[in-house]
Parts: sequence; structure tokens; C-alpha cells
Amino acid sequence: MSEKSLDKSQIKIRFFTRDEDETLRVSENPLFVPVSLKRFGLSEVVNHLLGNDLKQIPFDFLIEGDLLKSSIEEYLTVKGLSSETFLSLEYTRSVLPPSFLGSF
Amino acid sequence: LEISKDNHPDKIFRSLEEAHDLWRQSDIATQELSAGLTEQLRLILEPTLATKLRGDYKTGKRLNMKRIIPYIASQFRKDKIWLRRTKPSKRQYQIMIAVDDSKSMSESKSVDLAFKSIALVSKALTQLESGALSIVKFGEYTEVVHPFDKAFTADTGAKIFQSFDFGQTRTDIKKLVSQSIKLFDDARASGNSDLWQLEIILSDGVCEDHETVQRLVRRARENKIMLVFVIIDGINSSESILDMSQVSYVPDASGKMVLKVDKYLDTFPFEFYVVVHNINELPEMLAIILRQYFSELASM
Ligand SMILES: [Mg+2]
Repeated sequence: MSEKSLDKSQIKIRFFTRDEDETLRVSENPLFVPVSLKRFGLSEVVNHLLGNDLKQIPFDFLIEGDLLKSSIEEYLTVKGLSSETFLSLEYTRSVLPPSFLGSF
Repeated sequence: LEISKDNHPDKIFRSLEEAHDLWRQSDIATQELSAGLTEQLRLILEPTLATKLRGDYKTGKRLNMKRIIPYIASQFRKDKIWLRRTKPSKRQYQIMIAVDDSKSMSESKSVDLAFKSIALVSKALTQLESGALSIVKFGEYTEVVHPFDKAFTADTGAKIFQSFDFGQTRTDIKKLVSQSIKLFDDARASGNSDLWQLEIILSDGVCEDHETVQRLVRRARENKIMLVFVIIDGINSSESILDMSQVSYVPDASGKMVLKVDKYLDTFPFEFYVVVHNINELPEMLAIILRQYFSELASM
């Protein structure tokens, strides 16, 4: 229940990618998402925006160059930021093996 | 003068001198707009019901037919046989301007527009002389920065500007609405019966838990508080609220949580809202939303 929990706290974010592959680009319009989201949930959102409902591409996420290894909420706490921040999340095709991904 | 970064209530964030300059700039930038808004508000807020013919007068506009027979029977002594148009009594208002003091306001570069909006709306309402004006700020806390029972003078503007920092780390609209209900409730006790209560919220519109907020908005309405929401949409075109989407998870038929992406404004909890990108748009937009509110009230 941690990822899609009942906690209503949300944050404004935008996604962007440096990937050359045009088919991986989503709109950079802002999104209001639960702060409880981690990499799996964020991947699901990007795939949804890409229209990939069946074949999900695993993504990694970077905030200002740092790989996101926790929930957005934990990232904010570590960085001393609040959910009033407008976060830019860079996504890249995941380089981690699927077995490892499952543990996220 | 030391300028604190702490968000605790009652803190002052700029010197009076700086606040005076800021108020003066905002005042000059909105002078014409505020005169225009006053005129629009006068038309909207003043009673629009047609005046009625009434009374027993010795002179007047039209004969009161019910008085004619007694008039003749009394040998023309009971001569109060005329009707006149009587003016409806002036409606009294308590108007609260609630300004979003949260950090997202500065993140989205809405601060300049917010200051100008405060100046514009408060001046227009003061010129209107239709009742008491209060200013509150909200974020993590909701706090009165100018109470109903104090007059709004030229110095008030600068004093108010001292208490805005746009640095609060939460935007608690639930708290704003419930506190507003209480503030209006307390203020009503000292007012007369023909009192109208109106709250104008100035904010970037970014808030969570739309469902709960909507319930509170309904409660405010039951308490006869008119709520209109002015969304200040920053000058930064890459992040307009009109293009913003919201991610949520809803249970499907089997109870599994499924990802859903909707337009943010589709679930916006305030029924009467407008989106303003530029200070020049504010008078017209505010007039539109208030007119809409009053026409709905009239049709109820
Ligand atoms: Mg905010």
C-alpha cells in the first residue's frame, strides 16, 4: 500500500527525456502526482502517457542528475524540499535487469 | 531591519519602507483597472431587483385603487391614495480576500501578479464602500492580516504586503475554507440581517484532496458564504494549470487500483472559478464570475 497509499499529498512535476528516440517522448505539461510514487509508479505513468498499456518499458528517473532510488517524498525530505516545489524528472530507459527491477 | 524566513504567523518579511514602495508600484500599475472594477462591482453587487410601487402617500406616481372608495366615502379626507417607488435598502457586504502565501506561488512566478491583484481588488472594494473588507493569507496556516473591523486606509496596503513571503511549505485549502467559515460566522454575529458574505480567493489553484475541499465548499455555501476562486496562472507558459493533468488511482471492478490521468481542472473543487494570466484580465474575469454567481442565486 506504500506506493498507492491513502496519503493525499501531491506534487507538481514534469517529465522530460534526452533519449534520441522520438517515440519515447511525452508531453512536458505539468502533472500533479502523489508524492508516494517511486520508480515503478512513475514508470507506469510515463508508459500510460506513451500509450503503452500492454508492453511496459521500464524507466529510471533522475532529478537534477541524481538517480531516484526512493519515493519522491523521501527525496524531498533528504533534499530539504517541500511538495510546493515544481520538480523536473528526467527519465531514461532502465539499464537494470528485470529481476532487480522487481524489488522496487 | 532583519527579514525573517520563518513562516510562523505574525512574521514580517520586508521593511515598511520596502512594503510601501511595493504597494505604490502595485497601486500605480492598477489604478485604471481598479476604477473600472469598482464600476463593474457596483452594478453587480448592488440590488438588482426592480423597485416596487408601495405605500400610502399624498402625492405619487400611480393611484392605489384600494384607497379610492375609502377616499370618496371619507369626503376626500383620507387622501393618501398614491403609490411611490421606494428604493431598496443598500445591501451590506463582508468581503474577504484570501491570498495564497505558499511557496508554489513563487515557484510559478505568480508573486508579482498576486501583489497587483491584492492592490487592485482591495482598492476597488474600498472605493465601493459596500461594507467591511478583510484580508487573510493561507498556506500551511490561515491567518488574518487585516480584520473586518478595521478600516482599510492607504497605509493598510503596505502593512499587508509586509506579511507576505510566498514561502509556506504547504497549501492547505481545507484549513482555509473551514477557518473562513468560522471567521465569517464570528463576523456575522456583529452584523445586521441583510448581510452578504463573499470570499475571493487568489491562488495558483494547486491543491490536493479535491473531494474533501469540495465538501467544505458545500458547507460554506450552506452557511451562505459566496466563494469565488481566481486562479493566478503564472507568466511561465510552460506550466499553465490549463494544461496540467492529475494522476490518481481508482479501484477497477475487481478492486485492483488502476492508474488514471485526468485534466487537473476537471476535479477542481470550486464551482465558481476563473483563470487569469495577466492583471489586465482580472477585472473582467472577476466581474464575469460574480455575475454568474448572482444569476445563479437569483434563479434558486
Ligand atoms: Mg501552493
